[in-house]
Amino acid sequence: MTGTPEDLAEIRASVAEVLDGQADLRRTHEVMVGERGYDPLLHELLTAELGLLGLVVPEHLGGLGLDVPAATAVIEELGARLVPGALATSLTAILAARALGPSAEPLLARVVDEQLTLAVALAEDGAGWDLGQTATRATGAGDEWALTGTKTVVPGAEAARVVLVTARNEGGELGVYAVDRAADGVDVRTHMTLDQTRRLSTVRLREAAATRVDAPGGDGARVLLDHVRAMLALESAAAARACLDLTVDYLKVREQFGRPIGSFQALKHRCADLAVAVAGARATADHLVTTLRTGAATRSHDAALAKLVCADTLMTVAAEAIQLHGGIGFTFEHHAHLFFKRGKSAQLLAGSAAAVRAEVAALAGL
Amino acid sequence: MGAPVSDEQFRAEIRGWLREALTGPFAEAVGTGGEGREHEAHELRREWERHLGRAGWIGLSWPTEYGGRPATLAQQVIFHEEYARAGAPGRLGHMSEQLLGPTLLAFGTPEQKARFLPRITSGEDIWCQGYSEPGAGSDLAGVRTRAERRGDHYVITGQKVWTSLAHLADWCFVLCRTDPGSTRHAGLSYLLVPMNQPGVTVRPITQLTGTSEFNEVFFDEAVAAVEHRVGAEGEGWKVAMGTLGFERGVSTLGQQIGFRRRLDAVIARARSNGAWQEPALRDRLVDAYIGLEVMRHSAVRLLASAGEGLSGLEASISKLQWATWNRSLGELAVDVEGAGALLTGPGYELDDAQTHFLFSRANTIYGGSNEIQRNIIAERLLGLPR
Ligand SMILES: Cc1cc2nc3c(=O)[nH]c(=O)nc-3n(C[C@H](O)[C@H](O)[C@H](O)COP(=O)(O)OP(=O)(O)OC[C@H]3O[C@@H](n4cnc5c(N)ncnc54)[C@H](O)[C@@H]3O)c2cc1C
Repeated sequence: MTGTPEDLAEIRASVAEVLDGQADLRRTHEVMVGERGYDPLLHELLTAELGLLGLVVPEHLGGLGLDVPAATAVIEELGARLVPGALATSLTAILAARALGPSAEPLLARVVDEQLTLAVALAEDGAGWDLGQTATRATGAGDEWALTGTKTVVPGAEAARVVLVTARNEGGELGVYAVDRAADGVDVRTHMTLDQTRRLSTVRLREAAATRVDAPGGDGARVLLDHVRAMLALESAAAARACLDLTVDYLKVREQFGRPIGSFQALKHRCADLAVAVAGARATADHLVTTLRTGAATRSHDAALAKLVCADTLMTVAAEAIQLHGGIGFTFEHHAHLFFKRGKSAQLLAGSAAAVRAEVAALAGL
Repeated sequence: MGAPVSDEQFRAEIRGWLREALTGPFAEAVGTGGEGREHEAHELRREWERHLGRAGWIGLSWPTEYGGRPATLAQQVIFHEEYARAGAPGRLGHMSEQLLGPTLLAFGTPEQKARFLPRITSGEDIWCQGYSEPGAGSDLAGVRTRAERRGDHYVITGQKVWTSLAHLADWCFVLCRTDPGSTRHAGLSYLLVPMNQPGVTVRPITQLTGTSEFNEVFFDEAVAAVEHRVGAEGEGWKVAMGTLGFERGVSTLGQQIGFRRRLDAVIARARSNGAWQEPALRDRLVDAYIGLEVMRHSAVRLLASAGEGLSGLEASISKLQWATWNRSLGELAVDVEGAGALLTGPGYELDDAQTHFLFSRANTIYGGSNEIQRNIIAERLLGLPR
């Protein structure tokens, strides 16, 4: 595997095949109401057997050494099926770690060696996703750090073995740290969530042992935030497409007044508008992948913009999906509400629309 | 001019040429003739067409034997970008170059190409599009203008409407009915009709901007040569649909820069007059910026997948995007001005914001209205039943 477009298509296809068999929407439906909220066997299959965690980890650290688009393709395939769990956050954390350079190499080596799944913890009560207000403290030096603080609405923590945490050291500098979930002083409480496909946890840290992942003097916390936004954008763009497809399929077969309801122009035009929105979301997501791959300086801007556009698009498509399905769309059994709830969590995580819009404006120099 | 050049070389060349041309004899033409300003500086812009033509900038990607010059799709986009960036005048020749030219290249006889294309690439002939009629708009197959064959020519009787630039054009490409008993798509032919003849009367129509760029065109036994019919008799529909495909083509990809200039101007105005401090307006301005970014990335995606041409479907998505976007920016432009936007010049002269606000209502009507684009996307892209 060298990462040619053909390789990429092959990876995407093989992941899609496994997910279609083991993690389609029907399965997501079952899994999300279960106690764990994710499917451990699927995790095992995708990590141990398909080796997805090593996909974009450099070869000298034991990975396959593929480029960014291999991981983002997997995030999209997971996103299209709303697969719960820590796979997407793991790949997101791995991509962020890659972008952090040599300081993150020990973590990446561990990821492959120990098949580590990862969660990403940035938000705090009071601070939200505003990095500047991060209150979690890191004390120590070199390789030995202890973290104290509380992270909220953490995705992936229910299934992850390591949590990446943003914290501030005694000098006031923000950094990214890795904490083992099983370590002393780490308390993870996973909540029931409005978006049942995405469990969220509160992570309490009391003098919890940690290693530093980013290099001092860098913008590691920002890198992590940008990657979380990228994850939400990629998942949302893919989910919006999937949701539009299932809606259009339904409109072709459901008949009322003696004809398929998809022949009514009022509905056609709404679908056309959704198709335009989905194409736009896809374009921003693709552009973001290019930005991440090339390490372009516009990363923060592009990630913020894509998360805003893609999350809003998913929300719009999913809301229309419910309406266009009629009564069946309002049932728990139907899939439409899963997309609707996913859309809301993508909108509300990693910064509110107002906050992200203001960031985009500032980053664009408007 | 024959050798292929890199995109960077191409950009540098057109940029340099425009700078020189627009600081010299054509300095006065800068910024004239854009959307809603078609009434401005006709003489100068006619001369400008010839100047562009002499320099080889008309007919990019057309065969050199017709005065064209080799250019990739990306370079054609670059041309439109640089053209907008320089504030170069609105093109009087856009229908000649972007609609008729590609149609002749696809459907014309060798004689038609040899006769008409060089006069387009030289900027000599200005063409207008005679499709719409009082009874045939979105449903173009309702065309009723008649053409009766008499020997080596057709005699045309009927009326066209909304014909842009007909009052300035030398020629008109006309969709008309050559088979009197026919209906709908059958029995139509595509004729090239000289405008300067007794049987053609052009009456300008005043638009809601107070100015006129479109017209009524009356044909009263007007004449067109049989050899100037494009495609077979009765096959005009196929030819006309080809033109419509070109209409939504490459130039829209290059519009990005022009849109960005307009948006920047509106934002600059908002910053200077305090409107930026109003959260509701600021949100709309940032949303406009985001919408433009979405279009930019969509255009890049299109270009990457398009090869040498755009499919009608992709063009429908991009038409719907930009027309709707530009129309809302027009609203935003006057909202940012505030009540001051209500005052015009003594002869209803409009400034940029007012012109944009009013003229952009046309964006979602011409070239296939938003509703028609949605029909196309729903039926052909999504496969929803008719
Ligand atoms: C500034 C400007 C310049 C123009 N220049 C030219 C030109 O140079 N040459 C030329 O030939 N024409 C030109 N046109 C005409 C233009 O192509 C037509 O206006 C357009 O095709 C719409 O036709 P119509 O005006 O008859 O409206 P109609 O077709 O009557 O449409 C009226 C409304 O009904 C909607 N509608 C119609 N059919 C459907 C449907 N099937 N489903 C849903 N909604 C529908 C339309 O979207 C519109 O909202 C120009 C128009 C404008 C505004």
